[in-house]
Amino acid sequence: MRRQTPRTRFALMGLQTGLAVIVLLPFFWMISVSLKPASEPFAIPARLWPEDPTLANYISAFRPEFQVYFLNSVVVSLSTVAITVTLALLAAYVFTRAQMRIVGIIMLLVILAQMFPASAIIIPIYRMMRAADLLNTYASLILAYVTITLPVAIWMMRGFLARLPVTLEEAAAMDGAGPLRAFFEIVLPLCRPGIVATAVFVLIVTWQEFLFALSFTSTRDMRTLPVGMNDFIGQYGIRYGELMASSVLISLPVIAVFLFLQRQFVAGLTAGAVKG
Amino acid sequence: MTKNDRWLVWLFLAPAVVLVAVLMYYPMLGTVIESFYSTSFINPDPKFVGLEVYRRIFSQQEFGQIVVNSLLWTMGVVLLQNVLGFFSALLLNQHLPGQGLMRALVLLPWVLPGVVAAIIWRFMYDPQLGLINSFLISLGVSDTGMAWLADTDTAMLSAIVAAVWKGFPFSTVVFLAALQNVDEEQVEAAIIDGAGPLRRLVDIVLPSIREVAMINLVLTTILTFNYFDMIWVLTRGGPQNATHIFPTKIYDLGFGQFRFGDAAVYGVFSILVLVLLIALYFAIQRSSRPRVARA
Repeated sequence: MRRQTPRTRFALMGLQTGLAVIVLLPFFWMISVSLKPASEPFAIPARLWPEDPTLANYISAFRPEFQVYFLNSVVVSLSTVAITVTLALLAAYVFTRAQMRIVGIIMLLVILAQMFPASAIIIPIYRMMRAADLLNTYASLILAYVTITLPVAIWMMRGFLARLPVTLEEAAAMDGAGPLRAFFEIVLPLCRPGIVATAVFVLIVTWQEFLFALSFTSTRDMRTLPVGMNDFIGQYGIRYGELMASSVLISLPVIAVFLFLQRQFVAGLTAGAVKG
Repeated sequence: MTKNDRWLVWLFLAPAVVLVAVLMYYPMLGTVIESFYSTSFINPDPKFVGLEVYRRIFSQQEFGQIVVNSLLWTMGVVLLQNVLGFFSALLLNQHLPGQGLMRALVLLPWVLPGVVAAIIWRFMYDPQLGLINSFLISLGVSDTGMAWLADTDTAMLSAIVAAVWKGFPFSTVVFLAALQNVDEEQVEAAIIDGAGPLRRLVDIVLPSIREVAMINLVLTTILTFNYFDMIWVLTRGGPQNATHIFPTKIYDLGFGQFRFGDAAVYGVFSILVLVLLIALYFAIQRSSRPRVARA
Protein backbone atom coordinates (compact mmCIF):
# COMPACT_ATOMS: atom_id res chain seq x y z
CA MET A 1 0.00 0.00 0.00
CA ARG A 2 2.86 2.34 0.78
CA ARG A 3 4.78 1.45 -2.40
CA GLN A 4 3.46 4.24 -4.61
CA THR A 5 5.09 4.91 -7.93
CA PRO A 6 6.26 8.53 -8.34
CA ARG A 7 3.46 9.12 -10.81
CA THR A 8 0.75 7.85 -8.42
CA ARG A 9 2.26 9.88 -5.67
CA PHE A 10 2.16 12.99 -7.81
CA ALA A 11 -1.49 12.39 -8.69
CA LEU A 12 -2.39 11.81 -5.05
CA MET A 13 -0.61 15.01 -4.02
CA GLY A 14 -2.65 16.82 -6.67
CA LEU A 15 -5.86 15.41 -5.22
CA GLN A 16 -4.81 16.38 -1.72
CA THR A 17 -4.15 19.93 -2.90
CA GLY A 18 -7.60 19.94 -4.51
CA LEU A 19 -9.15 18.85 -1.22
CA ALA A 20 -7.30 21.61 0.60
CA VAL A 21 -8.64 24.18 -1.87
CA ILE A 22 -12.25 22.96 -1.44
CA VAL A 23 -11.93 23.10 2.33
CA LEU A 24 -10.08 26.38 2.62
CA LEU A 25 -11.39 28.54 -0.22
CA PRO A 26 -14.50 29.77 1.67
CA PHE A 27 -12.30 30.57 4.71
CA PHE A 28 -9.84 32.42 2.53
CA TRP A 29 -12.67 34.39 0.91
CA MET A 30 -14.11 35.28 4.33
CA ILE A 31 -10.76 36.63 5.52
CA SER A 32 -10.01 38.40 2.24
CA VAL A 33 -13.34 40.26 2.21
CA SER A 34 -13.03 41.11 5.89
CA LEU A 35 -9.79 42.97 5.07
CA LYS A 36 -11.15 44.77 2.03
CA PRO A 37 -11.67 48.53 2.44
CA ALA A 38 -15.30 49.58 1.97
CA SER A 39 -14.20 51.79 -0.91
CA GLU A 40 -12.69 48.97 -2.94
CA PRO A 41 -15.34 47.60 -5.33
CA PHE A 42 -16.02 43.93 -6.01
CA ALA A 43 -14.43 43.36 -9.40
CA ILE A 44 -14.99 40.75 -12.06
CA PRO A 45 -12.90 38.66 -12.20
CA ALA A 46 -12.91 38.69 -8.41
CA ARG A 47 -9.73 39.92 -6.79
CA LEU A 48 -8.74 37.18 -4.36
CA TRP A 49 -6.83 39.50 -2.05
CA PRO A 50 -7.65 43.18 -1.39
CA GLU A 51 -5.30 45.71 -2.97
CA ASP A 52 -5.05 47.69 0.22
CA PRO A 53 -5.91 45.45 3.23
CA THR A 54 -7.29 47.19 6.31
CA LEU A 55 -8.58 46.29 9.77
CA ALA A 56 -11.30 48.95 9.55
CA ASN A 57 -14.05 46.34 9.16
CA TYR A 58 -12.97 44.67 12.39
CA ILE A 59 -13.10 47.91 14.29
CA SER A 60 -16.61 48.70 13.12
CA ALA A 61 -17.75 45.07 13.57
CA PHE A 62 -16.63 45.02 17.18
CA ARG A 63 -19.36 47.41 18.26
CA PRO A 64 -21.15 47.42 21.62
CA GLU A 65 -23.95 45.01 20.68
CA PHE A 66 -21.43 42.57 19.25
CA GLN A 67 -19.55 42.71 22.55
CA VAL A 68 -22.78 41.89 24.42
CA TYR A 69 -23.49 38.91 22.14
CA PHE A 70 -19.91 37.76 22.57
CA LEU A 71 -20.13 37.92 26.34
CA ASN A 72 -23.48 36.06 26.28
CA SER A 73 -22.01 33.31 24.12
CA VAL A 74 -18.99 32.97 26.39
CA VAL A 75 -21.11 32.74 29.56
CA VAL A 76 -23.59 30.27 28.09
CA SER A 77 -20.97 28.08 26.39
CA LEU A 78 -18.53 27.86 29.27
CA SER A 79 -21.30 27.14 31.79
CA THR A 80 -22.70 24.45 29.52
CA VAL A 81 -19.29 22.85 29.02
CA ALA A 82 -18.63 22.74 32.78
CA ILE A 83 -22.05 21.33 33.68
CA THR A 84 -22.35 18.87 30.80
CA VAL A 85 -18.89 17.42 31.27
CA THR A 86 -19.45 16.94 35.01
CA LEU A 87 -22.86 15.29 34.61
CA ALA A 88 -21.69 13.18 31.67
CA LEU A 89 -18.69 11.94 33.61
CA LEU A 90 -20.85 10.87 36.56
CA ALA A 91 -23.45 9.18 34.35
CA ALA A 92 -20.91 7.48 32.09
CA TYR A 93 -19.07 6.15 35.14
CA VAL A 94 -22.24 4.46 36.36
CA PHE A 95 -23.06 3.22 32.86
CA THR A 96 -19.69 1.48 32.54
CA ARG A 97 -19.52 0.11 36.10
CA ALA A 98 -22.99 -0.77 37.38
CA GLN A 99 -24.06 -4.32 36.59
CA MET A 100 -27.80 -3.68 36.64
CA ARG A 101 -30.23 -4.38 33.82
CA ILE A 102 -32.26 -1.25 34.49
CA VAL A 103 -29.14 0.89 34.21
CA GLY A 104 -28.43 -0.60 30.80
CA ILE A 105 -31.92 0.28 29.60
CA ILE A 106 -31.64 3.83 30.94
CA MET A 107 -28.30 4.24 29.17
CA LEU A 108 -29.81 3.20 25.86
CA LEU A 109 -32.69 5.68 26.30
CA VAL A 110 -30.34 8.53 27.22
CA ILE A 111 -27.93 7.88 24.35
CA LEU A 112 -30.82 7.54 21.87
CA ALA A 113 -31.91 11.06 22.74
CA GLN A 114 -28.89 12.45 20.87
CA MET A 115 -30.82 11.81 17.65
CA PHE A 116 -34.00 13.66 18.67
CA PRO A 117 -35.11 16.38 16.26
CA ALA A 118 -34.74 19.66 18.13
CA SER A 119 -37.32 21.37 15.93
CA ALA A 120 -39.95 18.75 16.81
CA ILE A 121 -39.65 19.34 20.55
CA ILE A 122 -38.81 23.01 20.70
CA ILE A 123 -42.36 24.37 21.04
CA PRO A 124 -43.19 22.34 24.19
CA ILE A 125 -39.78 23.26 25.65
CA TYR A 126 -40.44 26.92 24.82
CA ARG A 127 -43.77 26.66 26.67
CA MET A 128 -42.05 25.13 29.71
CA MET A 129 -39.45 27.90 29.75
CA ARG A 130 -42.16 30.53 29.45
CA ALA A 131 -44.16 28.93 32.27
CA ALA A 132 -41.03 28.92 34.45
CA ASP A 133 -40.42 32.56 33.49
CA LEU A 134 -37.01 31.67 32.08
CA LEU A 135 -37.27 33.16 28.59
CA ASN A 136 -34.52 35.70 27.89
CA THR A 137 -32.28 34.31 30.62
CA TYR A 138 -28.96 32.50 30.53
CA ALA A 139 -30.63 29.71 32.53
CA SER A 140 -33.03 28.76 29.71
CA LEU A 141 -30.19 28.40 27.22
CA ILE A 142 -27.85 26.62 29.61
CA LEU A 143 -30.58 24.15 30.62
CA ALA A 144 -31.43 23.42 26.99
CA TYR A 145 -27.77 23.16 25.92
CA VAL A 146 -26.79 20.88 28.80
CA THR A 147 -29.69 18.60 27.90
CA ILE A 148 -29.02 18.41 24.17
CA THR A 149 -25.27 17.87 24.60
CA LEU A 150 -25.50 15.32 27.43
CA PRO A 151 -26.37 12.24 25.33
CA VAL A 152 -23.35 12.59 23.02
CA ALA A 153 -21.10 13.66 25.90
CA ILE A 154 -22.08 10.57 27.89
CA TRP A 155 -21.47 8.41 24.83
CA MET A 156 -17.99 9.90 24.36
CA MET A 157 -17.05 9.63 28.06
CA ARG A 158 -18.28 6.06 28.07
CA GLY A 159 -15.79 5.21 25.32
CA PHE A 160 -12.98 6.37 27.60
CA LEU A 161 -14.21 4.91 30.87
CA ALA A 162 -14.86 1.52 29.31
CA ARG A 163 -11.14 1.24 28.62
CA LEU A 164 -10.04 2.05 32.19
CA PRO A 165 -9.40 -1.24 33.96
CA VAL A 166 -11.81 -1.80 36.86
CA THR A 167 -8.97 -3.53 38.75
CA LEU A 168 -7.59 -0.14 39.77
CA GLU A 169 -10.77 0.72 41.64
CA GLU A 170 -10.95 -2.77 43.10
CA ALA A 171 -7.44 -2.35 44.43
CA ALA A 172 -8.43 0.98 45.96
CA ALA A 173 -11.46 -0.67 47.57
CA MET A 174 -9.19 -3.38 49.04
CA ASP A 175 -7.10 -0.62 50.57
CA GLY A 176 -10.23 0.62 52.26
CA ALA A 177 -11.13 3.50 49.95
CA GLY A 178 -14.87 4.14 49.70
CA PRO A 179 -16.51 4.31 46.25
CA LEU A 180 -16.52 8.12 46.20
CA ARG A 181 -12.84 8.30 47.06
CA ALA A 182 -12.01 5.69 44.44
CA PHE A 183 -13.89 7.77 41.89
CA PHE A 184 -12.26 11.08 42.72
CA GLU A 185 -8.73 9.83 43.35
CA ILE A 186 -8.35 6.99 40.85
CA VAL A 187 -10.87 7.40 38.02
CA LEU A 188 -11.04 11.16 37.67
CA PRO A 189 -7.31 11.80 37.06
CA LEU A 190 -7.17 9.00 34.47
CA CYS A 191 -10.11 10.48 32.52
CA ARG A 192 -8.36 13.71 31.61
CA PRO A 193 -8.08 12.99 27.86
CA GLY A 194 -11.75 12.00 27.75
CA ILE A 195 -12.76 15.13 29.60
CA VAL A 196 -10.77 17.33 27.21
CA ALA A 197 -12.25 15.69 24.11
CA THR A 198 -15.79 15.89 25.45
CA ALA A 199 -15.36 19.50 26.54
CA VAL A 200 -14.14 20.51 23.06
CA PHE A 201 -17.09 18.77 21.46
CA VAL A 202 -19.62 20.43 23.77
CA LEU A 203 -17.98 23.81 23.17
CA ILE A 204 -18.18 23.43 19.38
CA VAL A 205 -21.86 22.45 19.53
CA THR A 206 -22.86 25.13 22.04
CA TRP A 207 -20.90 27.98 20.49
CA GLN A 208 -22.82 27.61 17.24
CA GLU A 209 -26.26 26.61 18.55
CA PHE A 210 -28.88 28.61 16.70
CA LEU A 211 -32.43 27.21 16.97
CA PHE A 212 -32.85 27.36 20.76
CA ALA A 213 -31.11 30.73 21.02
CA LEU A 214 -33.33 32.12 18.26
CA SER A 215 -36.46 30.88 20.02
CA PHE A 216 -35.66 31.62 23.66
CA THR A 217 -34.12 35.08 23.35
CA SER A 218 -36.14 37.97 22.00
CA THR A 219 -34.33 40.84 23.68
CA ARG A 220 -31.13 42.21 22.19
CA ASP A 221 -29.19 42.05 25.43
CA MET A 222 -29.67 38.26 25.77
CA ARG A 223 -28.86 37.13 22.23
CA THR A 224 -25.88 34.94 21.50
CA LEU A 225 -23.47 35.33 18.58
CA PRO A 226 -25.19 33.06 16.02
CA VAL A 227 -28.54 34.83 16.49
CA GLY A 228 -26.81 38.21 16.52
CA MET A 229 -25.08 37.31 13.24
CA ASN A 230 -28.40 36.34 11.71
CA ASP A 231 -29.74 39.79 12.66
CA PHE A 232 -26.67 41.45 11.18
CA ILE A 233 -27.50 40.08 7.73
CA GLY A 234 -30.49 42.40 7.57
CA GLN A 235 -28.85 45.33 9.35
CA TYR A 236 -25.63 45.38 7.36
CA GLY A 237 -27.40 45.08 4.04
CA ILE A 238 -24.60 44.40 1.62
CA ARG A 239 -21.84 45.63 3.90
CA TYR A 240 -20.16 42.29 3.50
CA GLY A 241 -16.83 43.55 4.82
CA GLU A 242 -18.22 44.02 8.32
CA LEU A 243 -20.28 40.84 8.08
CA MET A 244 -17.18 38.83 7.20
CA ALA A 245 -15.11 40.56 9.90
CA SER A 246 -17.67 39.56 12.53
CA SER A 247 -17.72 36.04 11.06
CA VAL A 248 -13.97 35.80 11.58
CA LEU A 249 -14.30 37.10 15.14
CA ILE A 250 -16.98 34.50 15.98
CA SER A 251 -15.07 31.62 14.43
CA LEU A 252 -11.66 32.40 15.90
CA PRO A 253 -12.20 31.24 19.50
CA VAL A 254 -13.67 27.87 18.60
CA ILE A 255 -11.19 27.24 15.78
CA ALA A 256 -8.29 28.15 18.06
CA VAL A 257 -9.49 25.73 20.74
CA PHE A 258 -10.00 23.05 18.13
CA LEU A 259 -6.59 23.42 16.48
CA PHE A 260 -4.90 23.51 19.87
CA LEU A 261 -6.61 20.33 21.11
CA GLN A 262 -7.46 18.56 17.86
CA ARG A 263 -5.46 15.39 18.51
CA GLN A 264 -7.26 14.60 21.76
CA PHE A 265 -10.55 15.71 20.27
CA VAL A 266 -10.43 13.48 17.20
CA ALA A 267 -9.30 10.53 19.31
CA GLY A 268 -12.26 11.09 21.63
CA LEU A 269 -14.76 11.57 18.85
CA THR A 270 -13.82 8.31 17.18
CA ALA A 271 -13.25 6.27 20.36
CA GLY A 272 -16.98 5.89 20.92
CA ALA A 273 -17.65 5.14 17.26
CA VAL A 274 -15.05 2.41 16.96
CA LYS A 275 -15.30 0.85 20.40
CA GLY A 276 -19.10 1.46 20.72
CA MET B 1 -18.90 -0.31 42.43
CA THR B 2 -20.49 -2.98 44.59
CA LYS B 3 -24.08 -3.88 45.48
CA ASN B 4 -23.88 -1.63 48.54
CA ASP B 5 -23.17 1.37 46.36
CA ARG B 6 -26.61 1.49 44.75
CA TRP B 7 -27.25 4.92 46.24
CA LEU B 8 -24.19 6.12 44.36
CA VAL B 9 -25.57 4.74 41.09
CA TRP B 10 -28.74 6.77 41.41
CA LEU B 11 -26.99 9.84 42.77
CA PHE B 12 -24.61 9.92 39.78
CA LEU B 13 -27.35 9.18 37.24
CA ALA B 14 -30.10 11.43 38.55
CA PRO B 15 -29.14 14.82 37.06
CA ALA B 16 -28.54 13.53 33.54
CA VAL B 17 -31.58 11.26 33.53
CA VAL B 18 -33.92 13.91 34.92
CA LEU B 19 -32.77 16.52 32.38
CA VAL B 20 -33.09 14.20 29.39
CA ALA B 21 -36.47 12.91 30.58
CA VAL B 22 -37.93 16.35 31.33
CA LEU B 23 -36.46 18.34 28.44
CA MET B 24 -36.39 15.69 25.69
CA TYR B 25 -38.79 12.79 26.25
CA TYR B 26 -41.57 14.77 27.88
CA PRO B 27 -41.62 17.51 25.16
CA MET B 28 -41.78 14.78 22.53
CA LEU B 29 -44.98 13.59 24.17
CA GLY B 30 -46.09 17.23 24.33
CA THR B 31 -45.70 17.56 20.55
CA VAL B 32 -47.78 14.44 19.93
CA ILE B 33 -50.55 15.75 22.23
CA GLU B 34 -50.36 19.22 20.71
CA SER B 35 -50.94 17.78 17.25
CA PHE B 36 -54.52 16.91 18.25
CA TYR B 37 -55.28 20.53 19.18
CA SER B 38 -55.94 23.50 16.98
CA THR B 39 -54.53 26.94 17.72
CA SER B 40 -54.01 30.01 15.63
CA PHE B 41 -53.04 33.60 16.07
CA ILE B 42 -56.71 34.68 16.09
CA ASN B 43 -57.74 31.77 18.26
CA PRO B 44 -54.91 31.23 20.75
CA ASP B 45 -56.77 28.87 23.12
CA PRO B 46 -55.98 25.27 22.21
CA LYS B 47 -59.07 23.35 21.17
CA PHE B 48 -59.17 19.55 20.90
CA VAL B 49 -59.97 18.60 17.32
CA GLY B 50 -58.78 14.98 17.07
CA LEU B 51 -57.23 14.25 13.70
CA GLU B 52 -58.63 17.39 12.10
CA VAL B 53 -55.26 19.16 11.82
CA TYR B 54 -53.70 16.04 10.29
CA ARG B 55 -56.50 15.88 7.74
CA ARG B 56 -56.04 19.51 6.81
CA ILE B 57 -52.24 19.34 6.58
CA PHE B 58 -52.22 16.13 4.55
CA SER B 59 -54.68 17.60 2.06
CA GLN B 60 -52.47 20.64 1.45
CA GLN B 61 -50.20 20.54 -1.55
CA GLU B 62 -47.59 22.27 0.60
CA PHE B 63 -47.13 19.18 2.77
CA GLY B 64 -46.28 17.09 -0.28
CA GLN B 65 -43.79 19.69 -1.39
CA ILE B 66 -42.06 19.70 1.99
CA VAL B 67 -41.84 15.91 2.01
CA VAL B 68 -40.24 16.00 -1.45
CA ASN B 69 -37.89 18.84 -0.45
CA SER B 70 -36.83 16.99 2.70
CA LEU B 71 -36.18 13.82 0.71
CA LEU B 72 -34.08 15.69 -1.87
CA TRP B 73 -32.21 17.62 0.80
CA THR B 74 -31.52 14.61 3.00
CA MET B 75 -30.57 12.19 0.25
CA GLY B 76 -28.50 14.78 -1.60
CA VAL B 77 -26.53 15.90 1.44
CA VAL B 78 -26.07 12.41 2.90
CA LEU B 79 -24.92 10.78 -0.33
CA LEU B 80 -22.56 13.56 -1.40
CA GLN B 81 -21.23 14.05 2.10
CA ASN B 82 -20.43 10.38 2.61
CA VAL B 83 -18.97 9.84 -0.86
CA LEU B 84 -16.76 12.90 -0.46
CA GLY B 85 -16.01 11.88 3.13
CA PHE B 86 -15.02 8.37 2.09
CA PHE B 87 -12.73 9.40 -0.75
CA SER B 88 -11.06 12.16 1.23
CA ALA B 89 -10.50 9.65 4.06
CA LEU B 90 -8.88 7.23 1.58
CA LEU B 91 -6.69 10.08 0.35
CA LEU B 92 -5.70 11.14 3.86
CA ASN B 93 -4.74 7.55 4.65
CA GLN B 94 -1.99 7.39 2.00
CA HIS B 95 0.89 8.74 4.10
CA LEU B 96 1.51 11.68 1.80
CA PRO B 97 3.63 14.67 2.86
CA GLY B 98 1.54 17.25 4.72
CA GLN B 99 -0.93 14.61 5.84
CA GLY B 100 -0.93 15.53 9.52
CA LEU B 101 -1.73 19.16 8.75
CA MET B 102 -4.44 18.17 6.27
CA ARG B 103 -6.14 15.88 8.78
CA ALA B 104 -6.50 18.84 11.13
CA LEU B 105 -7.50 21.36 8.46
CA VAL B 106 -10.13 19.13 6.89
CA LEU B 107 -12.26 19.35 10.05
CA LEU B 108 -12.39 23.17 9.96
CA PRO B 109 -15.70 23.49 8.07
CA TRP B 110 -17.33 21.23 10.64
CA VAL B 111 -15.95 23.33 13.51
CA LEU B 112 -17.04 26.59 11.87
CA PRO B 113 -20.36 27.79 13.39
CA GLY B 114 -23.27 26.80 11.13
CA VAL B 115 -24.63 30.33 10.90
CA VAL B 116 -21.21 31.63 9.82
CA ALA B 117 -20.87 28.87 7.22
CA ALA B 118 -24.31 29.78 5.89
CA ILE B 119 -23.42 33.47 5.74
CA ILE B 120 -20.19 32.79 3.85
CA TRP B 121 -22.05 30.63 1.33
CA ARG B 122 -24.84 33.17 1.00
CA PHE B 123 -22.16 35.62 0.08
CA MET B 124 -20.43 33.23 -2.34
CA TYR B 125 -23.81 32.74 -4.08
CA ASP B 126 -24.56 36.48 -4.21
CA PRO B 127 -25.66 37.30 -7.79
CA GLN B 128 -23.60 40.51 -8.06
CA LEU B 129 -20.78 40.21 -5.55
CA GLY B 130 -20.42 36.46 -5.13
CA LEU B 131 -17.28 34.53 -5.91
CA ILE B 132 -19.15 31.82 -7.83
CA ASN B 133 -20.78 34.10 -10.39
CA SER B 134 -17.61 36.11 -10.72
CA PHE B 135 -15.77 32.90 -11.50
CA LEU B 136 -18.38 31.70 -14.03
CA ILE B 137 -18.45 35.07 -15.78
CA SER B 138 -14.67 35.30 -16.07
CA LEU B 139 -14.59 31.77 -17.48
CA GLY B 140 -17.21 32.81 -20.00
CA VAL B 141 -19.62 30.06 -18.91
CA SER B 142 -22.29 32.63 -18.14
CA ASP B 143 -22.85 36.26 -19.15
CA THR B 144 -24.66 37.59 -16.13
CA GLY B 145 -24.38 34.82 -13.59
CA MET B 146 -27.21 33.08 -11.76
CA ALA B 147 -29.41 34.07 -8.83
CA TRP B 148 -28.49 30.81 -7.11
CA LEU B 149 -30.57 31.14 -3.96
CA ALA B 150 -33.42 33.17 -5.45
CA ASP B 151 -34.21 30.79 -8.30
CA THR B 152 -36.54 27.88 -7.47
CA ASP B 153 -34.54 25.62 -9.82
CA THR B 154 -31.17 26.14 -8.17
CA ALA B 155 -31.95 27.08 -4.55
CA MET B 156 -32.13 23.53 -3.16
CA LEU B 157 -29.03 22.37 -5.01
CA SER B 158 -27.13 25.43 -3.74
CA ALA B 159 -28.20 24.72 -0.16
CA ILE B 160 -27.15 21.08 -0.53
CA VAL B 161 -23.68 22.04 -1.78
CA ALA B 162 -23.17 24.41 1.16
CA ALA B 163 -24.35 21.77 3.65
CA VAL B 164 -22.07 19.12 2.13
CA TRP B 165 -19.08 21.42 2.48
CA LYS B 166 -19.97 21.99 6.13
CA GLY B 167 -20.75 18.35 6.92
CA PHE B 168 -18.41 16.11 4.95
CA PRO B 169 -15.42 16.53 7.30
CA PHE B 170 -17.34 14.63 9.96
CA SER B 171 -17.72 11.68 7.60
CA THR B 172 -14.04 11.97 6.69
CA VAL B 173 -12.97 11.62 10.31
CA VAL B 174 -15.26 8.65 10.97
CA PHE B 175 -14.12 6.86 7.78
CA LEU B 176 -10.48 7.67 8.55
CA ALA B 177 -10.81 6.03 11.97
CA ALA B 178 -12.41 2.98 10.35
CA LEU B 179 -9.67 2.79 7.71
CA GLN B 180 -7.01 2.82 10.39
CA ASN B 181 -8.63 -0.30 11.85
CA VAL B 182 -8.33 -2.23 8.60
CA ASP B 183 -6.13 -5.28 9.12
CA GLU B 184 -2.70 -4.39 7.67
CA GLU B 185 -1.61 -8.04 7.42
CA GLN B 186 -4.57 -8.86 5.22
CA VAL B 187 -3.65 -5.95 2.95
CA GLU B 188 0.00 -7.02 2.80
CA ALA B 189 -1.04 -10.59 2.00
CA ALA B 190 -3.25 -9.35 -0.82
CA ILE B 191 -0.36 -7.31 -2.24
CA ILE B 192 1.84 -10.42 -2.25
CA ASP B 193 -0.97 -12.26 -4.05
CA GLY B 194 -0.79 -9.53 -6.68
CA ALA B 195 -4.06 -7.75 -5.92
CA GLY B 196 -4.19 -4.20 -7.32
CA PRO B 197 -5.45 -1.20 -5.35
CA LEU B 198 -9.03 -1.46 -6.67
CA ARG B 199 -9.19 -5.18 -5.88
CA ARG B 200 -7.93 -4.52 -2.33
CA LEU B 201 -10.46 -1.72 -1.89
CA VAL B 202 -13.39 -3.91 -2.93
CA ASP B 203 -12.30 -7.17 -1.27
CA ILE B 204 -10.66 -6.04 1.96
CA VAL B 205 -11.21 -2.37 2.78
CA LEU B 206 -14.92 -2.05 1.94
CA PRO B 207 -16.05 -5.20 3.82
CA SER B 208 -14.09 -4.23 6.91
CA ILE B 209 -15.55 -0.72 7.11
CA ARG B 210 -19.06 -1.80 6.11
CA GLU B 211 -20.51 -1.57 9.60
CA VAL B 212 -19.06 1.88 10.35
CA ALA B 213 -20.20 3.08 6.93
CA MET B 214 -23.79 1.91 7.46
CA ILE B 215 -24.03 3.43 10.92
CA ASN B 216 -22.52 6.64 9.60
CA LEU B 217 -25.11 6.73 6.82
CA VAL B 218 -28.01 6.38 9.24
CA LEU B 219 -26.56 8.92 11.68
CA THR B 220 -25.88 11.54 9.03
CA THR B 221 -29.37 10.95 7.62
CA ILE B 222 -30.93 11.74 11.01
CA LEU B 223 -28.73 14.80 11.54
CA THR B 224 -29.31 16.14 8.02
CA PHE B 225 -33.08 15.64 8.12
CA ASN B 226 -33.13 17.77 11.27
CA TYR B 227 -30.56 20.39 10.26
CA PHE B 228 -32.11 23.84 10.62
CA ASP B 229 -29.34 26.46 10.58
CA MET B 230 -28.07 26.23 7.01
CA ILE B 231 -31.38 26.57 5.17
CA TRP B 232 -32.82 29.10 7.60
CA VAL B 233 -29.91 31.49 7.13
CA LEU B 234 -29.51 30.85 3.38
CA THR B 235 -33.13 31.09 2.23
CA ARG B 236 -35.61 30.84 5.14
CA GLY B 237 -37.26 28.07 3.12
CA GLY B 238 -37.79 30.23 0.05
CA PRO B 239 -38.12 31.06 -2.73
CA GLN B 240 -41.77 29.96 -2.74
CA ASN B 241 -41.19 27.07 -0.35
CA ALA B 242 -38.56 25.63 -2.69
CA THR B 243 -36.14 24.91 0.17
CA HIS B 244 -38.54 24.49 3.10
CA ILE B 245 -37.78 21.27 4.94
CA PHE B 246 -39.36 19.91 8.13
CA PRO B 247 -37.31 21.86 10.72
CA THR B 248 -37.64 25.21 8.93
CA LYS B 249 -41.37 24.68 8.31
CA ILE B 250 -41.96 23.77 11.97
CA TYR B 251 -40.16 26.89 13.14
CA ASP B 252 -41.99 29.06 10.63
CA LEU B 253 -45.42 27.64 11.55
CA GLY B 254 -44.81 27.78 15.30
CA PHE B 255 -42.82 30.91 15.97
CA GLY B 256 -43.62 32.79 12.75
CA GLN B 257 -47.36 32.15 12.43
CA PHE B 258 -48.32 30.85 15.90
CA ARG B 259 -50.00 27.82 14.31
CA PHE B 260 -48.76 25.44 16.99
CA GLY B 261 -51.11 22.59 16.07
CA ASP B 262 -49.90 22.64 12.48
CA ALA B 263 -46.29 22.80 13.63
CA ALA B 264 -46.91 19.83 15.92
CA VAL B 265 -48.26 17.71 13.04
CA TYR B 266 -45.06 18.37 11.11
CA GLY B 267 -43.20 17.59 14.34
CA VAL B 268 -44.96 14.25 14.78
CA PHE B 269 -44.11 13.40 11.20
CA SER B 270 -40.41 14.06 11.80
CA ILE B 271 -40.56 12.01 15.02
CA LEU B 272 -41.97 9.10 12.97
CA VAL B 273 -39.13 9.44 10.46
CA LEU B 274 -36.70 9.37 13.37
CA VAL B 275 -38.29 6.22 14.85
CA LEU B 276 -38.01 4.49 11.47
CA LEU B 277 -34.36 5.47 11.12
CA ILE B 278 -33.53 4.35 14.67
CA ALA B 279 -35.17 1.00 13.94
CA LEU B 280 -33.00 0.76 10.83
CA TYR B 281 -29.94 1.63 12.91
CA PHE B 282 -30.59 -1.22 15.34
CA ALA B 283 -31.35 -3.64 12.52
CA ILE B 284 -27.96 -2.83 10.98
CA GLN B 285 -26.16 -3.15 14.29
CA ARG B 286 -27.79 -6.49 14.99
CA SER B 287 -27.09 -7.93 11.56
CA SER B 288 -23.43 -6.93 11.75
CA ARG B 289 -22.78 -8.24 15.25
CA PRO B 290 -21.96 -11.87 14.27
CA ARG B 291 -19.33 -10.59 11.81
CA VAL B 292 -17.58 -8.75 14.60
CA ALA B 293 -17.68 -11.81 16.83
CA ARG B 294 -16.03 -13.91 14.17
CA ALA B 295 -13.25 -11.41 13.54
